[in-house]
Amino acid sequence: MSWLETHLLLLTWGTLVGLDLVSVGQTMISRPLVAGAVAGAIVGDLATGLQLGIVFELFQFDVLPVGAARYPEYGPATVAAVSAAHFAGGTLAVGFGAGVGLVTGLLGGLSLHLLRRLNARAVTRAAAALDAGEPEALIRVHAAGILRDALRAAVVTTVGLLLARSSRLVFRSALSADHVTLLTAAVAGAAVAVGAAGVLRLIGRTPTLKWFAVGLAGGAVVAWTW
Amino acid sequence: MDVVTPSRGRFATTLLRLLTVQGSWNYDRMIGVGFGVSEEPLLRDLVQNGDGSAYRAALARGALFFNSHPYLAGLAVGATARLELERAPAQQIERLRTALCGPLGSLGDRLVWAGLLPFAAAVAMSAIALGAGWQAVALFLLMYNAGHLTLRWWALRAGWRYGAGVASALRNSTIQRLLGLSGPALGLAAGFMLPVLIRGFAAPLPPWARLVFAGTAALALAGLRLVPDRVSGLRIGLAVVALGLVGVWIWR
Repeated sequence: MSWLETHLLLLTWGTLVGLDLVSVGQTMISRPLVAGAVAGAIVGDLATGLQLGIVFELFQFDVLPVGAARYPEYGPATVAAVSAAHFAGGTLAVGFGAGVGLVTGLLGGLSLHLLRRLNARAVTRAAAALDAGEPEALIRVHAAGILRDALRAAVVTTVGLLLARSSRLVFRSALSADHVTLLTAAVAGAAVAVGAAGVLRLIGRTPTLKWFAVGLAGGAVVAWTW
Repeated sequence: MDVVTPSRGRFATTLLRLLTVQGSWNYDRMIGVGFGVSEEPLLRDLVQNGDGSAYRAALARGALFFNSHPYLAGLAVGATARLELERAPAQQIERLRTALCGPLGSLGDRLVWAGLLPFAAAVAMSAIALGAGWQAVALFLLMYNAGHLTLRWWALRAGWRYGAGVASALRNSTIQRLLGLSGPALGLAAGFMLPVLIRGFAAPLPPWARLVFAGTAALALAGLRLVPDRVSGLRIGLAVVALGLVGVWIWR
């Protein structure tokens, strides 16, 4: 596959992932684990895709999409991260890719807030027709919201992929193998901490804590002996 | 009042539309517009002898403010559509919608966002760390969506079946049993996942990088636990990358 074909596929995948987050389906292809694995398969580097998928999945544990909460969007971010890491050295460059992904995730979160405001404006404009129960107006406002989200997801993915490309050009020659390993170790440490904090927040101080302790002991034994 | 149950095709259309219930999510009506769009196929029998006034009034009510967990919105859609077809008073329908927002949100958050989803993710991540490849991702999607789609279908059917008495559907023994199981299952799966992932990340690193890994994890966890209001996962991540790049620049 040519560079252009690969990136068009990544853009299409990132757009689908962005749509799945809120607007269409919520089948969880927007989860970093899935977004990263498929992006990895597209660039021909499943290992990097899975590794970045895990890193961002751990960051995702920090997010509870409740009500009008504002949160970063890690789906298209993982796609951009995989692109950055793969073309900068594969699994060794996970930290570098994560940096690109985190910035993209921040932008994605901001774009979601903007989208919700644009949707509110569209609803206000159509309020008279909606309050009169016109089915055409209802469908039109709703379909426009979905289209707007598709466009948003495409823009966020494009920006992420451009960021990945420009970061590679800027940093590739400046970073040695040790530098890249340092970044990867630091980002992986942060991801584990964020995941652990998210899990502890979900579990709270309930009796579930004892099940968590049992799981922790089992996992430690397996990690030690595997 | 007896009502004719809409055809399976209409329920299927409603279910498909419910998959986009958050498509026009906004700060004004939240998922209200998506609610109206989803409810519309079930309301078509309100048009009688060319008179669409009841249908339009029902659609207008359907598109007002509503918020709940998206997977359980079908429960409210089914219940209110039934009340509309029973020609219940508008105030009763609006009261029911308002009353359902909180419980459906809370139940869905506990059952899905804080139960099924992190559980399935933890199982898949553990499997990948132990050597599984794309199969773990496929397992995650299958496991999650089996629960997800069943819940959406059950919610819509239960909402229609119970109508005004929809609150009793929420006391359904299967739902309550699943709620009771979700906490321990998540605790076990997430507890198992953490050491396995730590090993997976640390194993390929040289000794000095393992120290960086452990030190960053300890500092970040302390920050997230001690000042949770000021520190988020994203901020921690961005700070670590920025500090890492500064460190790299000094190290050159």
